[in-house]
Amino acid sequence: MIELRKIFLLFLLLPGLLGIVRKSWAQEYGGGPIVFIKPVRAVIFEHKFHLGKKFGCQSCHPDLFAKKAGEVEQKDDFTMESFNQGKYCGKCHNGTLAFSVNTKCNWCHIGVQGHKHLEEYELGIK
Amino acid sequence: MQAQAPGQVSLEERRRFLLLGLKITGVFVGGSVLSLVPARQARSELLGASVVGTYPYQPHYAMIIYKDRCIDCERCIEACRQTNNVPTYGWRNAVLSRRKTGIAASKMIREFLPVLCNQCNRPPCVRVCPTKATYKDKKNGIVRMNETLCIGCKACMTSCPYNARYYNGESQAVDKCDFCYQKRLQNGEANTACAEACPAGALLFGDLADQKSEFYKLLHKPDQTILVLRPERGSMPNVFYLQG
Repeated sequence: MIELRKIFLLFLLLPGLLGIVRKSWAQEYGGGPIVFIKPVRAVIFEHKFHLGKKFGCQSCHPDLFAKKAGEVEQKDDFTMESFNQGKYCGKCHNGTLAFSVNTKCNWCHIGVQGHKHLEEYELGIK
Repeated sequence: MQAQAPGQVSLEERRRFLLLGLKITGVFVGGSVLSLVPARQARSELLGASVVGTYPYQPHYAMIIYKDRCIDCERCIEACRQTNNVPTYGWRNAVLSRRKTGIAASKMIREFLPVLCNQCNRPPCVRVCPTKATYKDKKNGIVRMNETLCIGCKACMTSCPYNARYYNGESQAVDKCDFCYQKRLQNGEANTACAEACPAGALLFGDLADQKSEFYKLLHKPDQTILVLRPERGSMPNVFYLQG
């Protein structure tokens, strides 16, 4: 009977433990996904798809983006127009280093529905 | 003829009776089997091709949607809500979305499809309306609503292949997109609220009867693939989806 209770407790604790592990993975890559909601809702950025052999922290920080997540949002020229001129994301996403900013819109733009889904996903409801 | 007991039916008569039964069932079974065989002239239709090229109205309003440009910012929906006083529970336009699978590492990639009333040339909703509350405008081909005639039977909502209608509790009538005719077009404006609000240029509104316009040329480029929603319903929609 006691053993059964132990197993039951384990099952109760397991999801919580997994959550902690997942969070620590995310921290290694500078936190989970960053979502921009200005000027258009919503654009996703994930460190884990950008960090790799070619790029380290210094590639983008602090010249291209401030280290605080989401701070660029406040700037007026954080728009697709300036990306096309090679600012911010457009510095690498220019068609040679990575896919150009004027293609594959929905690789980064996850939209209002995507944002809602992400929030639920993060909370674990899914 | 003498009445016979059940056990005394002659062999010949029994045989005739059975033969008749076999013939009748044979006809029915044969018919249903035949109907399962594919039609000899199975025709496939290029999506949208049946619609493009016939513009019976003056002006013939239509919309072109570049589906890959939509980023689901939902500014079109907000603009529509403000312009046409759409309540929170209703919709005149919507953005459908689904997860795009099998292209990249990110789980979050989605694809979007803006939808609205297709202002069909052969509208099923007009056909089913018992009070003629919804009608095809004879001049510009917009499917419009006469709210005073609507009895709220919702037959049009069931018949619509695009789910473009909702019941408005305030006006006690079914409401739908009218290409902003009441709020904008009839006041001399040339664009709908949604197309004006789109930051990505995904929605374009125009007049297809004017063959010299840029709008007409977009749709009539050689080798242009034109898609419409649910062409098999034969409703001949006026909202065209292009790629790129």
